[in-house]
Amino acid sequence: MNRFSWFDATSIKEAFEQVTATVSEHIQPKGPKDAAVFKTGGVDLLDLVKEGLANPSRIVNIRNIPGLDEKSFDKKSGLRLGANVTLAEMAEDPVIRENYLALHLAVNHAATPQLRNMSTLGGNLAQRTRCWYFRSLDHECFRKGTGTCFAQDGENEFHAIMRNEDCASVHASSVATALMAFNATVEITNSKGEQKTVTMEEFFIHPSDDSRYECILKSDELITAVIVPPVSSGTKSAYIKQGARESYDWAIADVAVVAEMSGSTCKKVEIVLGAAAPIPFKSMEAIGQLKGKTINDTTAGNAARAAMEKATPLTKNGYKVDVFNAIIKRAILQLV
Amino acid sequence: MKDKSNQSHSAEAETEALVNKNVSRRSFLKGAGLTTAGTVMVSSGVMAFDRPKPQAKKAIGPGATTINLRVNGKTRTIAVEPRTTLATALREHLQLTGTKIVCDRGSCSACTVWLDDQPVNSCLMLAVEVGDSEITTVEGLSKNGQLHPVQEAFIEHDATQCGFCTPGMVMTTAHLLRNNPDPSLEDVRHAVRGNLCRCGTHPNVFKATMAAAKKS
Amino acid sequence: MASKKIKLPYGIPGHNLTEIEREVPVDEPPAWPVNDELKVVGKRVRRTDARDKVTGVAKYTADIQLPGMLYGKMLRSPYPHARINSIDVSGAESYPGVLAVHVFKRLVGMAESQESADSRGDYPEIRFSGQPIAGVAAINNDVAEEAIKLIEVDYQVLPFVVDIEEAMKPESPNVYATNVDQEETGGGGGSDSGLKTQGNIRGPSTMSFYGGPRGDVEKGFGESDVIVEGTYRTQVHTHSCMETHGVVIDWKPQGVTIYTSTQATRGVRDEFCALFDMPKSRVRVICEFMGGGFGSKHSLGNYGAMAAHLSKKSGRPVSLMLDRKEEHIMGGNRPNSIQLLKIGAKRDGKIVSLKQRSHGTAGVGLGAGVGRIAQVMYESPNFMTEQFDVFTHTAPGAAWRAPGNVQGALALESAMDELAEELNIDPVKLRDINDKSEIRKVERMKGAEIIGWKNRKAAGSDAGPVKKGMGMAQSHWPRFVDVNSTVEVRAFRDGSIEVRSGVQDIGTGTKTVLAQVVAEELGLQPENISVRIGDTLFPDGAASGGSIATGAITPPARNAAYSLKLKLFDQVAAALEAESSELMVADGEIRSTKNPEKKIAFRDALKRMRTEQLTTSASRSDDYGGFRMAPWLAYGTLGSVQYAQVTVDTETGFVKVDKIVAVHSCGRPLNISQVESQINGGVIQGMAYALYEDRVMDNETGHQVNKGLDNYKVPFAFEIPEIQPVIVEDYAGRTSTDAYGIGEPANIATAVAIANAVYNAIGVRIKELPITPSRVLEALKNA
Repeated sequence: MNRFSWFDATSIKEAFEQVTATVSEHIQPKGPKDAAVFKTGGVDLLDLVKEGLANPSRIVNIRNIPGLDEKSFDKKSGLRLGANVTLAEMAEDPVIRENYLALHLAVNHAATPQLRNMSTLGGNLAQRTRCWYFRSLDHECFRKGTGTCFAQDGENEFHAIMRNEDCASVHASSVATALMAFNATVEITNSKGEQKTVTMEEFFIHPSDDSRYECILKSDELITAVIVPPVSSGTKSAYIKQGARESYDWAIADVAVVAEMSGSTCKKVEIVLGAAAPIPFKSMEAIGQLKGKTINDTTAGNAARAAMEKATPLTKNGYKVDVFNAIIKRAILQLV
Repeated sequence: MKDKSNQSHSAEAETEALVNKNVSRRSFLKGAGLTTAGTVMVSSGVMAFDRPKPQAKKAIGPGATTINLRVNGKTRTIAVEPRTTLATALREHLQLTGTKIVCDRGSCSACTVWLDDQPVNSCLMLAVEVGDSEITTVEGLSKNGQLHPVQEAFIEHDATQCGFCTPGMVMTTAHLLRNNPDPSLEDVRHAVRGNLCRCGTHPNVFKATMAAAKKS
Repeated sequence: MASKKIKLPYGIPGHNLTEIEREVPVDEPPAWPVNDELKVVGKRVRRTDARDKVTGVAKYTADIQLPGMLYGKMLRSPYPHARINSIDVSGAESYPGVLAVHVFKRLVGMAESQESADSRGDYPEIRFSGQPIAGVAAINNDVAEEAIKLIEVDYQVLPFVVDIEEAMKPESPNVYATNVDQEETGGGGGSDSGLKTQGNIRGPSTMSFYGGPRGDVEKGFGESDVIVEGTYRTQVHTHSCMETHGVVIDWKPQGVTIYTSTQATRGVRDEFCALFDMPKSRVRVICEFMGGGFGSKHSLGNYGAMAAHLSKKSGRPVSLMLDRKEEHIMGGNRPNSIQLLKIGAKRDGKIVSLKQRSHGTAGVGLGAGVGRIAQVMYESPNFMTEQFDVFTHTAPGAAWRAPGNVQGALALESAMDELAEELNIDPVKLRDINDKSEIRKVERMKGAEIIGWKNRKAAGSDAGPVKKGMGMAQSHWPRFVDVNSTVEVRAFRDGSIEVRSGVQDIGTGTKTVLAQVVAEELGLQPENISVRIGDTLFPDGAASGGSIATGAITPPARNAAYSLKLKLFDQVAAALEAESSELMVADGEIRSTKNPEKKIAFRDALKRMRTEQLTTSASRSDDYGGFRMAPWLAYGTLGSVQYAQVTVDTETGFVKVDKIVAVHSCGRPLNISQVESQINGGVIQGMAYALYEDRVMDNETGHQVNKGLDNYKVPFAFEIPEIQPVIVEDYAGRTSTDAYGIGEPANIATAVAIANAVYNAIGVRIKELPITPSRVLEALKNA
């Protein structure tokens, strides 16, 4: 790793006084050479620094800022997770298991037990794609703002099958897939102490909209919490992830389904696909197909097919369409 | 509070101090030339090193700073740059080489140590961020010469081949048994799902862990 | 030499065990009975070094820290093909903390990379991305990494090819301009010297050490009732050892000490001495523990050559360990293959003709042949093979557990499965008809029983989208021998016994089996024996490769212990008032066979030695009855049969291996738990090869894109199937231990057994590894 200095912030204000760039702004070779960046769990940041994709001159640790690791829940306002809550804490949380099953499953399928002990929720949402071209210094690519997408005609077996025309990377967070399905929002605090809350759809940035950024965070902004709205008693959820390996892997395809059920009829539903597009993808087509329907083999299959209707697979990832078709249908059927 | 190791400087501390001060190569080599094989590079008197009080400081580096690390029940003082990972600090500064670096990216868990009783990847953690937390490495698992039941069971059930993943496997499975005294095969698989073994010793790791649970 | 006749156990216990009389040199020890009648050998004995491993005490090369030690790092080419116009190292040389810089000017042999003489310019031509160019030694890794970036290289970038099929096209850029002869690194054979190179294609090789073609294959096909023909493909996969390749080299005027993660201490020494023109007496290679090799760690390596240069220049010890990305690029890989296989058989199942043609790439290296297994496993009167090496701009391949055979088995054993289907003969029965090996026959029976082969259903007959299947495959591996294997046994007056040899323990348990063999011979327990190996200060041992080590090193260990025992008998006979010829050892005592009252504890006997130490040594004898090819190829086979049970999700294309029954022989098994561990490992690596691992090269840039352990898909805990290892004792009476290795056999049949099981599940055959969801779904769609 390059040499950097270290600042251990004890308050958000102190942290903002230090930081000069987001990690995404700083990504080399396009970003500023000299940058002070935030670190929470550090899992993604240190990976980027070790690869030479980031070489910050200062790392500002926000892991120890009091209050950011709190979580609370009540039936009316829902679940509030501080940005520094670890994935391990979420994985073991009984409230999440009981009320937000899809989230519970997504977190438990994320990374390894060791990494979950280190990774924070905020860091997980702000992490960069695992696309092997993006992660390689040898490839100056579209997502780094310095070239074209190598995956389009290259080695794209794990890449996006939807909205992939400019960049075929996929977002790495499977936790985000579940959060989006629960219509979670992200609380962002800026350096002036102002707070805003954005939906997950607003939080992530598609590469065709801005090639270098995967989320809207600016250098004077910080995720302080994620808020998951309350669920009604008739709400059921399901989550399925398919990776090349079951033990530990990024998703080839994952899906979260959250539905308000009346018997086996689906009154309201959210269906979100991970690893399908460069950012978590809410399938309005699938939702439209399923809403108001009785869930059975046919309706579930129709919804899955609808989700995949607009798929534009590349040279080596056509199989992902089949995988999505299967797991979307299975996830929907798990609701009844 | 003060540990004996406070007084003795490691060779690394000295060498890093030299780099920090941007000593020219010539004077560096001159310093190096003073030594003979088998000793540290320079005597501490020649290159006096400005040693701040070993305590948590807000802003440190990029040069080496002394920090205290609580490792295996002892407080150790070392001089590290902020970029030094916990794994490197343990291995190269404290000679605790049981902790292995294999992927260096958190993808194999060979570097697993406990940070306040939670298994973490020491390759993706900086030494400076450990703070007051207690680190336990594989060298600290046995108590008073008595092996941990997992260690005993690994020996009994031939759960080592080349042995390079073993320290990480041991730290991971020993942690599992702390929280789950009677794990199922599925539980063991969950615990070591991030621990890579290239020799393919997994079946015996599973067997040994479950046997250790029955004994402990 | 004087000889004597001894009777040795011969055959398979419970099947056809008998005795065979052989004439052996007079100083050979008496025959051991079968394992049931031994005390220590053939039992589950704890690894002597397990405690060091579980406590973190074991020191690997990566853990060696010497006073004043520097850290080395190499600059690697970012281009797959280039010429170097100039190199400026002044920035690195003047960087604070850097003590030595070296530029490779000469790259020959295995230690440095291959280079044909005619193309040598000022600097070696770059032929793969990641090829080392220069190196630095600095006070720590971080400084070394920074300094490497300051080396300026002016490249003339040239066209390249990394894909094997592209490389085979005439218009493709050539890796070498001329015919290439060099030592093969891939280990699969097919790279005989003098073969012609056309474009990037070198060959064909039609020979192996088993000989050349047999009969007339075309005539054989003409006589066949059924012909099965197919093209099979295997991928490149990397060894991905846990401990990366690396060295610590301490170059002192009086001699050089090399700590290295190797499976051949002797080989590294010899290579180093040849490269640096040093006498072997002044070079010491040490490997006490090593973190995996699987065939890839026989060489000094270019990292070793670099560290040596840097240590010599700086006068300091230099540690140079590859990082994980470097390990993926340069740490070895199993060459890929495109194989055509054609089998013709009579209606009754008898094979009459077998033809094989293969292309494979070991990158810039050689040895991608796959033909040996098809040549020897089945009796076919007509056989021919044509094997080609294809050069690509990728790093040299390396031997990988049963090199060539694992690839070759995919085609051969898939085709056998197809033939069985065509002939409507059970696949196990088809092997019974064509395989003369008695041990494999027994293994087939045992495995079939355990897996429940009779319950195997018709291919693709499971209802529903998730289908189960069962498959089997078998393998052959030769009994290789290295007579250059010597062991010293020393007894001390204080009662301790030491075994010394240069042989190293690659993780298989060599230390432990040496302790067992010596303990058995001396009537002691393994814990009484200190085993010191992995150091060329001791007598040379064999390499841990080719499943050679156990068969090479345990007979001299026993023989040295035996001669020590006889010397000891001579020294204590008088005190016991007995003839030394009537003495024996048992349970820690020396006793008279005539009068049990006459006895002395072994420890007490050692106290009476004339000298403080008594040392004997022995080298590997020739096999009793001679060799198939002296002095390295023994008679017999290390046969194995594996059965696989899989589940295939036909909607997602994912395959899960549920169970593997792996039935193996290795002559006399010495340590049951260690043999089982190696079988587990071979099976798991075979499964990884079948379903997961694949080195992915980007054709546009010539770089490997999956250089991490996150995106290079090595299996973890949930991928591991239930594995049932079954060991069949198989006595041949060829040496004083009759023991052989299991490393290679354990890895050969697994992948194709899985492939056959996938066929049985879905009714469609997949002829390319790895069997990914993508390939399963495509196969189902095309069916």
